[in-house]
Amino acid sequence: MKKIIALAVLVIATTGLVQAQMYKDKTCKVSFYSHTALEDISAVDTTGTMLLNTKTNDVIAQVMIKGFIFPNGLMQEHFNENYMESDKYPKSTFKGKINEKVDYTKDGTHNVTITGNLEVHGVTKPRTLPATITIKGGVITVDLKFNIALKDHEIKVPEAVGAKIAENIEVTVHTVMVQPGKK
Amino acid sequence: MKKFLLFATLLICSAAFAQDDMQAYLDSLEKADAKKDYVLATFKTFKVINAQTTETTKHKTLDFRIIHRFGNMGVSSNGGGHTLWGFDDSRDIRFSFDYGLSEKLSVGIGRSKQFELLDANFKWRFMTQTTNNKQPVSIALYSTVGFIPQRKDQFYAGVDLAEFTAKTSHRFNYVTQLIVARKQGIVSFEVLPTYVHRNFVKGPMNPNGDFDSNGFFACGVAARVKLTKRVSITGDYFYIGSKFRRGTDAFYDPIGIGIEMETGGHIFNINLTNSAGIMENNFLPGTQDNWLKGGYKLGFSISRSFAFNTKH
Repeated sequence: MKKIIALAVLVIATTGLVQAQMYKDKTCKVSFYSHTALEDISAVDTTGTMLLNTKTNDVIAQVMIKGFIFPNGLMQEHFNENYMESDKYPKSTFKGKINEKVDYTKDGTHNVTITGNLEVHGVTKPRTLPATITIKGGVITVDLKFNIALKDHEIKVPEAVGAKIAENIEVTVHTVMVQPGKK
Repeated sequence: MKKFLLFATLLICSAAFAQDDMQAYLDSLEKADAKKDYVLATFKTFKVINAQTTETTKHKTLDFRIIHRFGNMGVSSNGGGHTLWGFDDSRDIRFSFDYGLSEKLSVGIGRSKQFELLDANFKWRFMTQTTNNKQPVSIALYSTVGFIPQRKDQFYAGVDLAEFTAKTSHRFNYVTQLIVARKQGIVSFEVLPTYVHRNFVKGPMNPNGDFDSNGFFACGVAARVKLTKRVSITGDYFYIGSKFRRGTDAFYDPIGIGIEMETGGHIFNINLTNSAGIMENNFLPGTQDNWLKGGYKLGFSISRSFAFNTKH
Protein backbone atom coordinates (compact mmCIF):
# COMPACT_ATOMS: atom_id res chain seq x y z
CA MET A 1 0.00 0.00 0.00
CA LYS A 2 2.74 2.34 1.03
CA LYS A 3 4.50 1.52 -2.19
CA ILE A 4 1.43 2.34 -4.25
CA ILE A 5 1.06 5.67 -2.52
CA ALA A 6 4.71 6.42 -3.06
CA LEU A 7 4.33 5.50 -6.71
CA ALA A 8 1.26 7.66 -7.13
CA VAL A 9 2.96 10.59 -5.49
CA LEU A 10 5.96 10.10 -7.72
CA VAL A 11 3.90 9.95 -10.90
CA ILE A 12 1.96 13.06 -9.95
CA ALA A 13 5.13 14.81 -8.91
CA THR A 14 6.96 14.05 -12.15
CA THR A 15 4.05 14.98 -14.41
CA GLY A 16 3.55 18.09 -12.33
CA LEU A 17 7.20 18.80 -12.81
CA VAL A 18 6.87 18.68 -16.59
CA GLN A 19 4.04 21.20 -16.44
CA ALA A 20 5.91 23.40 -14.03
CA GLN A 21 8.91 23.61 -16.33
CA MET A 22 6.85 24.34 -19.42
CA TYR A 23 6.93 27.80 -20.95
CA LYS A 24 4.66 28.61 -23.85
CA ASP A 25 3.80 31.29 -26.35
CA LYS A 26 0.74 31.02 -28.56
CA THR A 27 1.34 34.23 -30.46
CA CYS A 28 4.80 33.39 -31.64
CA LYS A 29 5.76 35.64 -34.54
CA VAL A 30 7.28 33.90 -37.53
CA SER A 31 8.20 35.92 -40.58
CA PHE A 32 10.12 35.25 -43.74
CA TYR A 33 11.82 37.31 -46.31
CA SER A 34 12.88 36.53 -49.85
CA HIS A 35 15.20 38.98 -51.53
CA THR A 36 16.05 39.07 -55.23
CA ALA A 37 17.03 41.88 -57.55
CA LEU A 38 13.53 41.81 -59.04
CA GLU A 39 11.30 41.48 -56.04
CA ASP A 40 11.29 41.43 -52.25
CA ILE A 41 8.66 39.18 -50.74
CA SER A 42 7.78 38.98 -47.07
CA ALA A 43 5.03 37.48 -44.95
CA VAL A 44 4.24 37.29 -41.25
CA ASP A 45 2.40 34.78 -39.10
CA THR A 46 1.64 35.78 -35.53
CA THR A 47 -0.23 32.63 -34.60
CA GLY A 48 2.70 30.28 -34.11
CA THR A 49 3.09 28.21 -30.96
CA MET A 50 6.34 27.67 -29.11
CA LEU A 51 6.93 25.47 -26.09
CA LEU A 52 10.06 25.25 -23.98
CA ASN A 53 10.71 22.75 -21.26
CA THR A 54 13.28 24.40 -19.02
CA LYS A 55 13.98 21.12 -17.24
CA THR A 56 14.88 19.08 -20.29
CA ASN A 57 15.81 21.96 -22.65
CA ASP A 58 13.32 20.60 -25.19
CA VAL A 59 11.83 23.06 -27.64
CA ILE A 60 8.87 22.68 -29.98
CA ALA A 61 7.80 25.39 -32.37
CA GLN A 62 4.93 25.14 -34.78
CA VAL A 63 3.37 27.44 -37.33
CA MET A 64 0.30 27.09 -39.54
CA ILE A 65 1.14 27.79 -43.18
CA LYS A 66 -2.25 29.33 -43.90
CA GLY A 67 -1.60 31.82 -41.10
CA PHE A 68 1.08 33.64 -43.11
CA ILE A 69 -0.24 37.02 -44.18
CA PHE A 70 1.11 38.64 -47.32
CA PRO A 71 0.47 42.24 -48.35
CA ASN A 72 -0.67 40.83 -51.71
CA GLY A 73 -3.64 38.44 -51.47
CA LEU A 74 -2.94 36.76 -54.78
CA MET A 75 0.62 36.06 -53.71
CA GLN A 76 -0.72 34.55 -50.47
CA GLU A 77 -2.94 32.22 -52.47
CA HIS A 78 -0.07 31.16 -54.71
CA PHE A 79 2.15 30.59 -51.67
CA ASN A 80 -0.43 28.19 -50.21
CA GLU A 81 -1.59 26.55 -53.42
CA ASN A 82 1.52 26.24 -55.55
CA TYR A 83 4.53 26.37 -53.29
CA MET A 84 3.73 25.17 -49.77
CA GLU A 85 0.70 23.02 -50.71
CA SER A 86 -0.84 23.88 -47.36
CA ASP A 87 -3.83 21.57 -47.81
CA LYS A 88 -1.40 18.66 -47.88
CA TYR A 89 1.15 20.08 -45.44
CA PRO A 90 -0.75 22.45 -43.15
CA LYS A 91 2.06 23.18 -40.69
CA SER A 92 5.76 23.52 -40.26
CA THR A 93 7.44 22.40 -37.04
CA PHE A 94 10.79 22.49 -35.35
CA LYS A 95 11.49 20.03 -32.55
CA GLY A 96 14.82 20.32 -30.86
CA LYS A 97 16.94 20.53 -27.77
CA ILE A 98 19.00 23.45 -26.55
CA ASN A 99 22.63 22.32 -26.46
CA GLU A 100 23.90 24.72 -23.81
CA LYS A 101 23.06 24.80 -20.13
CA VAL A 102 20.94 27.80 -19.33
CA ASP A 103 20.01 28.99 -15.86
CA TYR A 104 16.40 30.00 -16.38
CA THR A 105 16.01 31.29 -12.86
CA LYS A 106 18.41 34.21 -13.38
CA ASP A 107 17.94 37.19 -15.63
CA GLY A 108 20.36 37.28 -18.54
CA THR A 109 21.00 36.81 -22.22
CA HIS A 110 22.40 33.60 -23.67
CA ASN A 111 23.55 32.77 -27.18
CA VAL A 112 22.75 29.13 -27.72
CA THR A 113 22.28 26.56 -30.46
CA ILE A 114 19.28 24.31 -30.83
CA THR A 115 19.68 20.96 -32.54
CA GLY A 116 16.63 19.22 -33.88
CA ASN A 117 14.42 18.44 -36.83
CA LEU A 118 12.88 21.09 -39.03
CA GLU A 119 9.84 20.02 -40.99
CA VAL A 120 8.74 22.25 -43.85
CA HIS A 121 6.58 21.17 -46.80
CA GLY A 122 6.49 17.61 -45.48
CA VAL A 123 10.28 17.25 -45.64
CA THR A 124 12.21 16.89 -42.38
CA LYS A 125 15.82 18.02 -42.14
CA PRO A 126 18.15 17.85 -39.12
CA ARG A 127 19.28 21.38 -38.31
CA THR A 128 21.28 23.19 -35.67
CA LEU A 129 19.95 26.70 -35.36
CA PRO A 130 21.53 29.61 -33.48
CA ALA A 131 19.23 31.36 -31.03
CA THR A 132 19.28 34.10 -28.46
CA ILE A 133 17.53 33.48 -25.18
CA THR A 134 16.74 36.43 -22.96
CA ILE A 135 15.41 35.84 -19.47
CA LYS A 136 13.85 38.67 -17.58
CA GLY A 137 11.55 38.40 -14.60
CA GLY A 138 10.27 34.93 -15.42
CA VAL A 139 9.62 35.77 -19.06
CA ILE A 140 11.74 33.94 -21.62
CA THR A 141 12.27 35.56 -24.99
CA VAL A 142 13.73 33.47 -27.78
CA ASP A 143 14.88 34.93 -31.08
CA LEU A 144 15.92 32.82 -34.04
CA LYS A 145 17.12 33.77 -37.46
CA PHE A 146 18.01 31.14 -40.03
CA ASN A 147 17.81 30.31 -43.71
CA ILE A 148 15.71 27.68 -45.40
CA ALA A 149 16.86 26.48 -48.80
CA LEU A 150 13.79 25.81 -50.95
CA LYS A 151 15.54 22.89 -52.59
CA ASP A 152 16.14 21.18 -49.22
CA HIS A 153 12.40 20.98 -48.68
CA GLU A 154 11.40 20.14 -52.24
CA ILE A 155 9.60 23.45 -52.78
CA LYS A 156 9.63 23.85 -56.53
CA VAL A 157 9.73 27.21 -58.25
CA PRO A 158 8.87 27.33 -61.95
CA GLU A 159 11.60 28.80 -64.15
CA ALA A 160 9.36 31.66 -65.27
CA VAL A 161 9.31 33.14 -61.77
CA GLY A 162 12.66 31.75 -60.62
CA ALA A 163 14.29 35.17 -60.74
CA LYS A 164 11.70 36.61 -58.37
CA ILE A 165 12.01 34.09 -55.55
CA ALA A 166 15.23 33.65 -53.58
CA GLU A 167 16.73 30.18 -53.30
CA ASN A 168 17.32 30.75 -49.60
CA ILE A 169 14.51 32.20 -47.56
CA GLU A 170 15.41 34.08 -44.39
CA VAL A 171 13.18 33.09 -41.49
CA THR A 172 12.86 35.09 -38.28
CA VAL A 173 11.17 33.80 -35.14
CA HIS A 174 10.37 35.98 -32.16
CA THR A 175 8.68 34.43 -29.19
CA VAL A 176 7.93 35.68 -25.70
CA MET A 177 7.18 32.76 -23.41
CA VAL A 178 5.61 32.63 -19.99
CA GLN A 179 4.57 29.75 -17.79
CA PRO A 180 0.95 28.78 -18.32
CA GLY A 181 -1.21 30.33 -15.63
CA LYS A 182 1.24 33.16 -15.00
CA LYS A 183 1.54 36.60 -16.53
CA MET B 1 16.91 -1.56 -4.27
CA LYS B 2 13.54 -2.35 -5.76
CA LYS B 3 12.31 1.07 -4.81
CA PHE B 4 15.34 2.65 -6.35
CA LEU B 5 14.79 0.73 -9.58
CA LEU B 6 11.19 1.83 -9.68
CA PHE B 7 12.21 5.41 -9.10
CA ALA B 8 14.87 5.24 -11.81
CA THR B 9 12.45 3.68 -14.30
CA LEU B 10 9.89 6.36 -13.61
CA LEU B 11 12.39 9.14 -14.04
CA ILE B 12 13.65 7.71 -17.31
CA CYS B 13 10.09 7.26 -18.53
CA SER B 14 9.09 10.80 -17.71
CA ALA B 15 12.22 12.13 -19.36
CA ALA B 16 11.72 9.98 -22.46
CA PHE B 17 8.12 11.08 -22.75
CA ALA B 18 8.95 14.72 -22.34
CA GLN B 19 9.00 15.41 -26.08
CA ASP B 20 5.83 13.41 -26.65
CA ASP B 21 4.21 15.18 -23.72
CA MET B 22 5.09 18.47 -25.27
CA GLN B 23 3.68 17.40 -28.61
CA ALA B 24 0.48 16.22 -26.90
CA TYR B 25 0.29 19.48 -25.02
CA LEU B 26 0.81 21.41 -28.25
CA ASP B 27 -1.95 19.43 -29.95
CA SER B 28 -4.32 20.12 -27.07
CA LEU B 29 -3.57 23.84 -27.30
CA GLU B 30 -4.25 23.72 -31.01
CA LYS B 31 -7.57 21.95 -30.61
CA ALA B 32 -8.67 24.44 -27.98
CA ASP B 33 -8.45 27.34 -30.37
CA ALA B 34 -8.92 25.70 -33.75
CA LYS B 35 -9.82 28.57 -35.98
CA LYS B 36 -11.88 28.29 -39.11
CA ASP B 37 -9.65 26.86 -41.74
CA TYR B 38 -11.00 28.03 -45.08
CA VAL B 39 -10.55 26.12 -48.30
CA LEU B 40 -8.43 28.22 -50.62
CA ALA B 41 -8.71 28.75 -54.34
CA THR B 42 -11.80 26.71 -55.17
CA PHE B 43 -11.35 28.30 -58.56
CA LYS B 44 -8.29 30.13 -59.77
CA THR B 45 -10.04 33.21 -61.02
CA PHE B 46 -13.47 34.79 -60.85
CA LYS B 47 -14.69 33.45 -64.17
CA VAL B 48 -14.54 29.87 -65.51
CA ILE B 49 -15.37 30.43 -69.21
CA ASN B 50 -18.87 31.84 -69.25
CA ALA B 51 -19.76 31.19 -65.62
CA GLN B 52 -18.72 33.26 -62.64
CA THR B 53 -17.03 31.46 -59.75
CA THR B 54 -17.23 31.94 -55.99
CA GLU B 55 -13.84 33.66 -56.11
CA THR B 56 -13.79 37.40 -55.65
CA THR B 57 -11.04 39.89 -56.38
CA LYS B 58 -8.59 39.90 -53.48
CA HIS B 59 -8.84 42.59 -50.85
CA LYS B 60 -7.40 45.95 -51.95
CA THR B 61 -6.49 44.53 -55.34
CA LEU B 62 -7.52 46.02 -58.68
CA ASP B 63 -7.85 43.53 -61.50
CA PHE B 64 -7.75 44.80 -65.07
CA ARG B 65 -8.93 42.23 -67.52
CA ILE B 66 -9.42 41.85 -71.25
CA ILE B 67 -11.55 38.97 -72.45
CA HIS B 68 -11.71 38.24 -76.15
CA ARG B 69 -13.92 36.00 -78.27
CA PHE B 70 -13.03 35.36 -81.88
CA GLY B 71 -15.49 34.33 -84.59
CA ASN B 72 -16.89 30.86 -85.26
CA MET B 73 -14.37 28.25 -86.27
CA GLY B 74 -16.57 25.90 -88.30
CA VAL B 75 -17.18 26.33 -92.05
CA SER B 76 -20.97 25.97 -91.73
CA SER B 77 -21.04 28.84 -89.18
CA ASN B 78 -19.20 31.38 -91.34
CA GLY B 79 -15.81 30.16 -90.13
CA GLY B 80 -13.30 28.05 -92.02
CA GLY B 81 -10.19 29.06 -93.90
CA HIS B 82 -11.58 32.31 -95.31
CA THR B 83 -11.78 33.84 -91.84
CA LEU B 84 -8.74 31.87 -90.64
CA TRP B 85 -11.13 29.82 -88.50
CA GLY B 86 -12.62 32.84 -86.86
CA PHE B 87 -9.45 34.81 -86.22
CA ASP B 88 -10.57 37.61 -88.58
CA ASP B 89 -13.64 38.20 -86.51
CA SER B 90 -14.14 39.36 -82.96
CA ARG B 91 -17.59 38.59 -81.66
CA ASP B 92 -17.03 40.21 -78.30
CA ILE B 93 -14.30 42.01 -76.40
CA ARG B 94 -14.71 43.08 -72.82
CA PHE B 95 -12.56 45.40 -70.77
CA SER B 96 -13.18 45.40 -67.06
CA PHE B 97 -11.93 46.66 -63.74
CA ASP B 98 -12.69 44.74 -60.57
CA TYR B 99 -11.75 45.75 -57.06
CA GLY B 100 -11.82 43.81 -53.80
CA LEU B 101 -13.52 45.83 -51.06
CA SER B 102 -12.83 42.97 -48.66
CA GLU B 103 -11.75 39.34 -48.91
CA LYS B 104 -15.38 38.46 -49.59
CA LEU B 105 -16.85 41.39 -51.48
CA SER B 106 -15.80 42.76 -54.83
CA VAL B 107 -17.26 45.26 -57.27
CA GLY B 108 -16.62 45.66 -60.97
CA ILE B 109 -17.39 47.66 -64.06
CA GLY B 110 -16.95 46.65 -67.67
CA ARG B 111 -17.65 47.46 -71.27
CA SER B 112 -18.37 44.89 -73.95
CA LYS B 113 -18.32 45.18 -77.70
CA GLN B 114 -21.54 43.19 -78.07
CA PHE B 115 -24.48 45.65 -77.87
CA GLU B 116 -21.94 48.16 -76.48
CA LEU B 117 -22.99 46.78 -73.10
CA LEU B 118 -21.88 48.73 -70.05
CA ASP B 119 -22.14 46.78 -66.83
CA ALA B 120 -21.67 47.21 -63.13
CA ASN B 121 -21.61 44.25 -60.82
CA PHE B 122 -20.85 43.00 -57.36
CA LYS B 123 -20.07 39.63 -55.89
CA TRP B 124 -20.38 38.75 -52.23
CA ARG B 125 -19.16 35.38 -50.99
CA PHE B 126 -21.13 35.08 -47.79
CA MET B 127 -20.07 31.54 -47.01
CA THR B 128 -16.67 29.96 -47.54
CA GLN B 129 -16.05 26.22 -47.47
CA THR B 130 -14.00 25.06 -44.49
CA THR B 131 -11.63 22.12 -44.35
CA ASN B 132 -13.50 20.59 -41.39
CA ASN B 133 -16.68 20.59 -43.56
CA LYS B 134 -18.71 22.54 -41.01
CA GLN B 135 -19.33 24.78 -44.00
CA PRO B 136 -19.33 22.20 -46.79
CA VAL B 137 -19.71 24.69 -49.64
CA SER B 138 -18.87 28.23 -50.61
CA ILE B 139 -21.83 30.39 -51.60
CA ALA B 140 -21.69 33.71 -53.38
CA LEU B 141 -24.30 36.15 -54.61
CA TYR B 142 -23.51 37.77 -57.93
CA SER B 143 -25.54 40.52 -59.48
CA THR B 144 -24.98 42.66 -62.52
CA VAL B 145 -26.81 45.59 -64.09
CA GLY B 146 -26.34 46.18 -67.80
CA PHE B 147 -27.04 49.24 -69.90
CA ILE B 148 -27.13 49.23 -73.69
CA PRO B 149 -26.15 52.67 -75.06
CA GLN B 150 -26.59 51.75 -78.73
CA ARG B 151 -27.96 54.24 -81.26
CA LYS B 152 -31.74 54.40 -81.20
CA ASP B 153 -32.17 52.87 -84.66
CA GLN B 154 -29.87 50.01 -83.70
CA PHE B 155 -31.43 49.33 -80.32
CA TYR B 156 -34.98 49.42 -81.68
CA ALA B 157 -34.14 47.77 -85.04
CA GLY B 158 -37.30 46.12 -86.39
CA VAL B 159 -39.58 48.02 -84.02
CA ASP B 160 -42.00 50.63 -85.40
CA LEU B 161 -41.25 53.62 -83.19
CA ALA B 162 -44.31 55.43 -84.49
CA GLU B 163 -46.40 53.07 -82.40
CA PHE B 164 -43.93 52.60 -79.58
CA THR B 165 -42.39 55.11 -77.20
CA ALA B 166 -38.66 54.75 -76.61
CA LYS B 167 -37.58 55.04 -72.99
CA THR B 168 -34.14 55.04 -71.39
CA SER B 169 -35.32 52.39 -68.93
CA HIS B 170 -35.69 49.95 -71.85
CA ARG B 171 -31.95 49.79 -72.12
CA PHE B 172 -31.38 48.24 -68.70
CA ASN B 173 -31.05 44.54 -68.04
CA TYR B 174 -30.28 42.55 -64.92
CA VAL B 175 -28.78 39.21 -63.96
CA THR B 176 -28.74 37.81 -60.44
CA GLN B 177 -27.29 34.48 -59.50
CA LEU B 178 -26.36 32.35 -56.56
CA ILE B 179 -23.12 30.43 -56.92
CA VAL B 180 -22.71 27.29 -54.83
CA ALA B 181 -19.27 25.69 -55.07
CA ARG B 182 -17.31 22.90 -53.50
CA LYS B 183 -13.68 21.89 -53.84
CA GLN B 184 -12.95 18.20 -53.36
CA GLY B 185 -9.32 17.31 -53.94
CA ILE B 186 -8.41 18.18 -57.50
CA VAL B 187 -12.01 18.76 -58.55
CA SER B 188 -13.93 21.99 -58.03
CA PHE B 189 -17.59 22.04 -58.92
CA GLU B 190 -20.33 24.65 -58.81
CA VAL B 191 -24.01 25.18 -59.56
CA LEU B 192 -25.42 28.59 -60.57
CA PRO B 193 -29.16 29.16 -60.34
CA THR B 194 -29.75 32.39 -62.25
CA TYR B 195 -32.49 34.87 -63.07
CA VAL B 196 -32.29 37.17 -66.08
CA HIS B 197 -34.48 40.21 -66.60
CA ARG B 198 -34.44 42.58 -69.55
CA ASN B 199 -36.64 45.66 -69.45
CA PHE B 200 -37.24 45.52 -73.19
CA VAL B 201 -37.61 42.52 -75.47
CA LYS B 202 -38.69 42.41 -79.09
CA GLY B 203 -41.65 40.13 -79.42
CA PRO B 204 -41.51 37.82 -82.41
CA MET B 205 -43.10 34.43 -82.05
CA ASN B 206 -40.90 31.38 -82.49
CA PRO B 207 -41.99 28.46 -84.72
CA ASN B 208 -43.49 26.71 -81.67
CA GLY B 209 -45.77 29.66 -80.96
CA ASP B 210 -43.85 30.94 -77.91
CA PHE B 211 -43.08 34.60 -77.31
CA ASP B 212 -39.99 36.00 -75.68
CA SER B 213 -40.42 37.10 -72.09
CA ASN B 214 -38.67 39.83 -70.11
CA GLY B 215 -37.52 37.46 -67.40
CA PHE B 216 -36.46 33.83 -67.39
CA PHE B 217 -34.52 31.41 -65.25
CA ALA B 218 -31.30 29.67 -66.19
CA CYS B 219 -29.09 27.25 -64.33
CA GLY B 220 -25.41 26.77 -64.85
CA VAL B 221 -22.90 24.12 -63.83
CA ALA B 222 -19.15 24.54 -63.98
CA ALA B 223 -16.13 22.49 -63.03
CA ARG B 224 -12.39 22.68 -62.85
CA VAL B 225 -10.06 19.69 -62.69
CA LYS B 226 -6.45 20.24 -61.72
CA LEU B 227 -4.14 18.22 -63.93
CA THR B 228 -0.94 19.50 -62.39
CA LYS B 229 -0.20 22.15 -59.79
CA ARG B 230 -0.50 24.85 -62.44
CA VAL B 231 -2.58 23.44 -65.27
CA SER B 232 -6.32 22.79 -65.09
CA ILE B 233 -9.08 21.96 -67.50
CA THR B 234 -12.35 23.80 -67.07
CA GLY B 235 -15.84 23.52 -68.43
CA ASP B 236 -19.23 25.11 -67.96
CA TYR B 237 -22.79 24.81 -69.23
CA PHE B 238 -25.99 26.82 -68.83
CA TYR B 239 -29.47 25.45 -69.19
CA ILE B 240 -31.62 28.29 -70.51
CA GLY B 241 -35.10 28.02 -69.01
CA SER B 242 -36.82 30.21 -71.58
CA LYS B 243 -39.56 28.52 -73.62
CA PHE B 244 -38.94 30.93 -76.47
CA ARG B 245 -35.36 29.71 -76.70
CA ARG B 246 -35.92 25.97 -76.45
CA GLY B 247 -36.63 23.51 -79.22
CA THR B 248 -35.74 25.88 -82.05
CA ASP B 249 -32.61 26.21 -84.16
CA ALA B 250 -32.28 29.89 -83.24
CA PHE B 251 -30.97 29.54 -79.69
CA TYR B 252 -28.64 27.11 -77.96
CA ASP B 253 -27.41 26.51 -74.44
CA PRO B 254 -23.95 28.00 -73.85
CA ILE B 255 -21.25 25.37 -73.42
CA GLY B 256 -17.59 26.11 -72.85
CA ILE B 257 -14.41 24.10 -72.37
CA GLY B 258 -11.03 25.55 -71.56
CA ILE B 259 -7.51 25.24 -70.25
CA GLU B 260 -6.13 27.36 -67.42
CA MET B 261 -2.41 27.78 -67.08
CA GLU B 262 -0.77 29.64 -64.29
CA THR B 263 2.67 31.15 -64.49
CA GLY B 264 3.52 33.16 -61.44
CA GLY B 265 1.18 36.12 -61.22
CA HIS B 266 -0.59 35.47 -64.51
CA ILE B 267 -3.36 33.11 -65.43
CA PHE B 268 -3.83 32.29 -69.07
CA ASN B 269 -7.23 31.03 -70.00
CA ILE B 270 -7.80 29.62 -73.47
CA ASN B 271 -11.23 28.29 -74.28
CA LEU B 272 -13.77 27.21 -76.84
CA THR B 273 -17.41 28.16 -76.48
CA ASN B 274 -20.49 28.66 -78.62
CA SER B 275 -21.53 31.82 -76.77
CA ALA B 276 -20.61 35.06 -78.49
CA GLY B 277 -21.30 37.35 -75.55
CA ILE B 278 -19.01 37.49 -72.56
CA MET B 279 -21.36 38.99 -69.98
CA GLU B 280 -24.28 37.02 -68.56
CA ASN B 281 -26.58 39.83 -69.74
CA ASN B 282 -25.56 38.98 -73.32
CA PHE B 283 -24.85 35.28 -73.50
CA LEU B 284 -27.77 33.97 -71.43
CA PRO B 285 -30.47 35.44 -73.71
CA GLY B 286 -28.38 35.57 -76.86
CA THR B 287 -26.38 32.39 -77.59
CA GLN B 288 -27.35 31.51 -81.15
CA ASP B 289 -24.49 29.33 -82.34
CA ASN B 290 -24.55 25.56 -82.45
CA TRP B 291 -21.51 23.56 -81.35
CA LEU B 292 -22.48 20.74 -83.71
CA LYS B 293 -22.36 23.10 -86.70
CA GLY B 294 -18.94 24.48 -85.88
CA GLY B 295 -20.40 27.40 -83.96
CA TYR B 296 -17.62 27.44 -81.37
CA LYS B 297 -15.09 30.19 -81.08
CA LEU B 298 -11.71 30.57 -79.55
CA GLY B 299 -11.55 32.83 -76.55
CA PHE B 300 -8.88 33.98 -74.18
CA SER B 301 -8.51 36.26 -71.24
CA ILE B 302 -5.57 38.13 -69.87
CA SER B 303 -5.51 39.93 -66.58
CA ARG B 304 -3.17 42.03 -64.56
CA SER B 305 -3.75 42.74 -60.91
CA PHE B 306 -2.44 45.64 -58.91
CA ALA B 307 -2.17 45.21 -55.15
CA PHE B 308 -2.70 48.38 -53.15
CA ASN B 309 -2.06 46.87 -49.77
CA THR B 310 1.65 47.17 -49.21
CA LYS B 311 1.62 47.03 -45.44
CA HIS B 312 1.36 43.97 -43.23
